Amino acid sequence: MRNKIIRLVIFGLFAVITVELFYVQIISGRRYYHLSKHNRIRIVPLEGGRGRILDRNGKIMADNRPAYHVMVMPQDIEDIKMLFAFLSKVLNVEQKIMMRRYRQKKLTPFTPVVVAQNIERKKAMELEEHKYRFPGLMVQEGSKRFYPSHKNSAHVLGYVGRISQAKRERYQEYGYTPQMIVGHLGVEEYYDDHLRGDQGGVQIEVNSRGKQVRLLSLKDPTKGKDISLTIDSGIQSISQEILEERRGAIVIMDMANGEVLGLTSSPSYDPNDFVQRDNAKKLSVLFSNQEAPLLNRTIKGVFPPGSVFKVPVAVSALESKKINANTSFMCEGHHTLGGIRFGCTHVHRLQNLVESLAHSCNVYYYRAGLKLGADWIYKYARLLGLGRLTHIDLPYEKKGKLPHRRKRLLTARRWYTGDTLNFSIGQGDILTTPLQLVRMMAIVASEGTMVQPHVVKTIGKHIVKDHDFKRQIKISKDTFRTIKKGLRATVTDYSGTAHVLDLKEIYVAGKTGTAQSSRDKEHHAWFVGYAKGETKNVAFCVFLEHGGSSQNACVLARKLLLRMKEESLI
Amino acid sequence: MKRNLTQKIWIYTTLIIGMGLLALYSASFENVRVPHKIFFDQLICALGGMVIMYLFGRVDYRKFYDAAYIFYVLNILLLVWVLVSGRDALGARRWIDIAGVNFQPSELTKLSLILFLGRYFSNRRPTLSFDLLSKTQMLWRNLIWPFILTAGSMLLIFKQPDLGTSLLLLGIFIVMVFSAGLEYRYFLGFLGGFVAIAPFAWKVLKPYQKDRLLVFLNPNIDPLGAGYTIIQSKIAVGSGQIFGKGWLSGTQNQLNFLPERHTDFIFSVIGEEWGFVGALLLVYFYFALIKCGLDIADQVKDKFGTLVTIGIVSILTLQVIINIGMVMGVFPIVGLTLPFVSYGRSSFLIFIIMMGFLINLSKRRTIF
Repeated sequence: MRNKIIRLVIFGLFAVITVELFYVQIISGRRYYHLSKHNRIRIVPLEGGRGRILDRNGKIMADNRPAYHVMVMPQDIEDIKMLFAFLSKVLNVEQKIMMRRYRQKKLTPFTPVVVAQNIERKKAMELEEHKYRFPGLMVQEGSKRFYPSHKNSAHVLGYVGRISQAKRERYQEYGYTPQMIVGHLGVEEYYDDHLRGDQGGVQIEVNSRGKQVRLLSLKDPTKGKDISLTIDSGIQSISQEILEERRGAIVIMDMANGEVLGLTSSPSYDPNDFVQRDNAKKLSVLFSNQEAPLLNRTIKGVFPPGSVFKVPVAVSALESKKINANTSFMCEGHHTLGGIRFGCTHVHRLQNLVESLAHSCNVYYYRAGLKLGADWIYKYARLLGLGRLTHIDLPYEKKGKLPHRRKRLLTARRWYTGDTLNFSIGQGDILTTPLQLVRMMAIVASEGTMVQPHVVKTIGKHIVKDHDFKRQIKISKDTFRTIKKGLRATVTDYSGTAHVLDLKEIYVAGKTGTAQSSRDKEHHAWFVGYAKGETKNVAFCVFLEHGGSSQNACVLARKLLLRMKEESLI
Repeated sequence: MKRNLTQKIWIYTTLIIGMGLLALYSASFENVRVPHKIFFDQLICALGGMVIMYLFGRVDYRKFYDAAYIFYVLNILLLVWVLVSGRDALGARRWIDIAGVNFQPSELTKLSLILFLGRYFSNRRPTLSFDLLSKTQMLWRNLIWPFILTAGSMLLIFKQPDLGTSLLLLGIFIVMVFSAGLEYRYFLGFLGGFVAIAPFAWKVLKPYQKDRLLVFLNPNIDPLGAGYTIIQSKIAVGSGQIFGKGWLSGTQNQLNFLPERHTDFIFSVIGEEWGFVGALLLVYFYFALIKCGLDIADQVKDKFGTLVTIGIVSILTLQVIINIGMVMGVFPIVGLTLPFVSYGRSSFLIFIIMMGFLINLSKRRTIF
């Protein structure tokens, strides 16, 4: 009985399908046949327009400008040779190349083929004038991305371009299509979902001359949302100017809330180069450049911190109660371990903690490190955020490396006491990003408050609150106060390593670092510190890759702060 | 009579596969987007499938009764594995590699669910339990428990995300629970429940899934995306008219109009090139094959056999009807293949195995 019902239902379904087939193929068959014969239906995509990117003061950092594309409708072409001869004359592109491009891209007789993109306005007008002579030729108005700040802020912003194969496959189910323009690197990539508008389009029926007969359907495109950053474009251009073309990075962060005011990596590149088509040569130079201009050194470059790492070592020494603020060690200019000399910059004689920070005495930290052991240093360095992602809202951040004594047991190289000595002065296996050190310095300066570094303030009209949280680190305030005395002494002390930064106008404190990289190259120069400006307190870092002595970084930091003060940016 | 049914299944399956291969040849003929290689791929698959079908036809299906539960559990583990270690982190996760061969466990679930429900319901005889069990207990045993167990795999497949297969499993469950003899009022109540929760289910869908459903209601909403496919496939099928444009000469097809024409939209190629006559012939072959299944279901004496047959028949019907309906714009695009015709190894293999079961069932029925 039950199976009879199932049988009847199945018969019914098949009857419905047969009737539907009959209806589609026989009754409306003629109409569909007609439609397929001349496929008169055309789809004209309408771009949604990408949201703009603004800096913290509302200055535009990424904008859209009108652009003109040349398209050809294959089925309407009368004389293909004439058409391309004309096009090559106007656009200054060889006819053969254009023809080849056209053949590669041609899909169906009724899908327009884009033969040239982003042509000049003048040329677009010229083509438009002669359009009537060449049926099938179309000039479409679109938009292209423009970055008014050019080289400044390239690493924060990123650029836009065609979606990559790998990414398209991954995101296909989420509405990403081939040929789609998406953000690459920086804010453009991280916030692509918000910036990207929804593509719309019209479906039209045309007559045999390609003129629109009627509008079949329309889907309105929607514009992407504008994003405003915490970045100050004024600071960005100063940083870029100061770094010139030297390899290095400058990070400036508001200590109170983690807003990143400046994030500059040098050498930089012009994101507009990526927007321009037919620019392969210029781009391949960028990609193969030894100086790696595409690398965002502030979050993706990992370097040994050198003496800057003495700050976390001092924190762990005080917190673990192995030494106190008055503990002194004698510096003879070197420390000998197992017959190997571990050197110091000078013969500092008797040093206490504050002095040791101010003079960056290696011997003090060798001795302190030996008392402490590598595990204590690891614990507090990690608490201060080293070897961990800062989770800044930019893609592809690196977390660097913080060596762990016990993890070494798994590898062939054991952890020797010499490793502890190197670790104590920020050498050896340890690698950090400039941003990590800035965050660390912000924790020290604010006496234990960890903020979330971020570059985006608002999306559309919505204020982003995701980064607003603060966390109190479990380290006593007294420890931080002692350290801060040392950091201030670095600047104020007559023999402090960063005495050039002793400015009347601004309160500055910090730590220098000269990190050995490889034998035959110059050292890395660091200055990581904090400054109290009129409007905000900032933690900042000036880093020069293979920049020689830390003194070079200090000089740049001085210039930077003075310029910022001059233009009253802090 | 007995030989007859076995032979019929062989004949119709072979005819459908043959038509499918011809269509696939045409769909990949001198085509840039669909490589011709897939035709040979499918050809090898078809030949290997015939051998597998023959072998399954010889194995006593009751052996599968014993393995049904374990099989289902293993299948669920596979589905979990797909979700955990799927080939991709963000996109659809439907594939796993077993010894270098890609496989879709969700296809396997179609078979294992049928076997599982077949065994579950054949153990219970709801109409004969008299008053030994209370009404609530009965309901739990005959409807709610099996539904929860089915819903488990449905949910895992839905997460992949594959809405089509997930709903297909629900279809199998409904048909089998009906066939197993659930009282009408409960059955209708169950269906009514689904209608009631449909609005809430809407919220769970992914944006693109919602789009597809909306577009189905009005193809003009999204002329560039899913709506485009519906319109173009309708044009393709309709333009075939009575006798079609001839093999290898369908313009819609040859001009790269349809994005998925070798898989989900293969029927549009048949409709366009062979016209109403060809399309109807294919539909008739399916119908005849399904009718064989229904005849077997009537003749098989044990309950497990009947239920499995009904399950196989229902899945075959559902996929054929939904796929053809989808190509003609009667159903939303849910990504279900046309059995034996669409390109795709997992799907092909599962249906071949099902046919093997049917052959076996048609042979064994006199033993009881």
